[in-house]
Amino acid sequence: MRVLISGYRGNPYCGGQGIYIYNLSRELAKLGVEVDVMVGPPYPDPLEEWATVYKIENLNIWSIKTKDIPYEKLVRIFSPWNFADYILTRLHMFPEMETYSFRAFFALKKILKEKRYDIIHDIQSLGWATVPMKGYGIPIVTTVHHPLTKDREADLMGNFGLWDKTTTILFYPLVMQSFVIKRLDRVITSFREGITELNKAFGVKPEKVSVVYNGMDVDLFQNTGEPREENALLFVGNTEDSKKGLIYLFEAMTMLPENVTLTIVDDGPPKKMTAADMIKKFNLSHRVKFTGKLSYEALVSLYSRKTILVMSSLFEGFGLPAVEAMACKTPVVVTTAGSLKEVVTEDCGILVPPKDPIALKDAILKLLSDSELRKKMGENGRRRAVENFSWPVAAKNTLKVYEDVIREFRRKR
Amino acid sequence: MPRAKIWGIIAVLVSAFLFALSIFSFFILPEGNFGFFSDVNLMNLHPLTYYSAAVPLGLISLWVLATGFWIGWVILSIKVVPPMPEIVEKKDNSKIKAFFLCLITAGLAVLLVYGIYVRNFWALAIPALVISAVILGAVFWVGMAIITTRATLPVNKN
Repeated sequence: MRVLISGYRGNPYCGGQGIYIYNLSRELAKLGVEVDVMVGPPYPDPLEEWATVYKIENLNIWSIKTKDIPYEKLVRIFSPWNFADYILTRLHMFPEMETYSFRAFFALKKILKEKRYDIIHDIQSLGWATVPMKGYGIPIVTTVHHPLTKDREADLMGNFGLWDKTTTILFYPLVMQSFVIKRLDRVITSFREGITELNKAFGVKPEKVSVVYNGMDVDLFQNTGEPREENALLFVGNTEDSKKGLIYLFEAMTMLPENVTLTIVDDGPPKKMTAADMIKKFNLSHRVKFTGKLSYEALVSLYSRKTILVMSSLFEGFGLPAVEAMACKTPVVVTTAGSLKEVVTEDCGILVPPKDPIALKDAILKLLSDSELRKKMGENGRRRAVENFSWPVAAKNTLKVYEDVIREFRRKR
Repeated sequence: MPRAKIWGIIAVLVSAFLFALSIFSFFILPEGNFGFFSDVNLMNLHPLTYYSAAVPLGLISLWVLATGFWIGWVILSIKVVPPMPEIVEKKDNSKIKAFFLCLITAGLAVLLVYGIYVRNFWALAIPALVISAVILGAVFWVGMAIITTRATLPVNKN
């Protein structure tokens, strides 16, 4: 089978797409699939060992003021797609997905003169030109971890005033995604509730959605054997993302004993101010610290040393930190939002309702006071992560979806 | 001088010239009765000629107005509860503004369609001017940035 994986961003260190493209392409290749990858910048780690990579240009100039755009990029703006990108970004839109899809459409036309694919796998771009791509006579599946409507809702919660709200609404290309997603052959999502969410957000028919749990590197994420710290909570995620529900975690922190500390794996001030402002407001500065961006090794070490991982999310499309923590035998306290109630079972963590700081506090206290329970949950978590959320399992299940879509596509023709 | 800087200067000059020309053509020529636009009676145009310009311009303008209406509508209809007390306490009158945004954009859309129907010059001139201003403004701004930004990489003379 020959597959083209297409994603508008490939950075392996931030954002899920890059990690997904890297690991899925590698594992699919191990299963004997011929994989090509078409990807926009930031480009992924070298994949050439197992895939042919086609790099698509993009200046990534969203949120950069014109005078701050690097000179090397400035002089490239006057090409048609870059100029379209430039104008739309100045109008507060996020056109990367749109323009990527057009660039990919034309790049694919050239590639198809020499090659043929059995299926195209779009990673969450859902740009306008994905629809005419169907004209090449190849079935297209897309992976959508969660509909962007959830991000928009979360952002609107934190917006004040007409201008803030307007820029948020302009930012998310929901009209485009809603139009495109319904016209693709299959949608892969990473949790069962995603079927309902996609139907609610975009009107995707449930029979067009397949659930494949995301993967993670269970060999990399292993307990290091370092001694566990006591009363040390860990939060891993983007603090600027309102969906993470950090405010509820901080509220819970104010109700927890003074010796309970929280480590946040993300940038703090001056780079990111949202969480820092809340910490100041709740008077938690002496109990909360930021680590900044970490290497995988440092992150695994943190997972292995901290007492509990906490996720206070209002919505999660997968909840990678919970699985990573479970793989490192760390018990978790998570909300039942989105995919988390599928990812975390009651034998490897405690689930609480979202937006409920008291329930969060009670769950944390329960785990902090019972080391035996923590140990048991940690062992169960590791087992669950290996059995359900490893990349080989994700690739095998994705391959099954490909086969099903190709069969259906050929039958219809 | 690096070639990119030359392109930057050309971009600035051309966009500034074209914008000045469009302002002159739309506002000064007709009023001054220079015999250019004042001679153009849109009613005399063949329907195909008129609508081949009016339909694309009208559609782009309606798309922009529809986006404005849609933004207002989303703000009016979305139901989210802000979690942050400081936001709840503040009086957010964005719903009132959003209502007026819907009202104004809908009104402008009706006016535009009517203007195009009765072949009013301004129904085409204003959208054309706004679209030109956005595109030429972007070209001008990027050109200025190219001229005023120092190249971070040394120029390779080879």
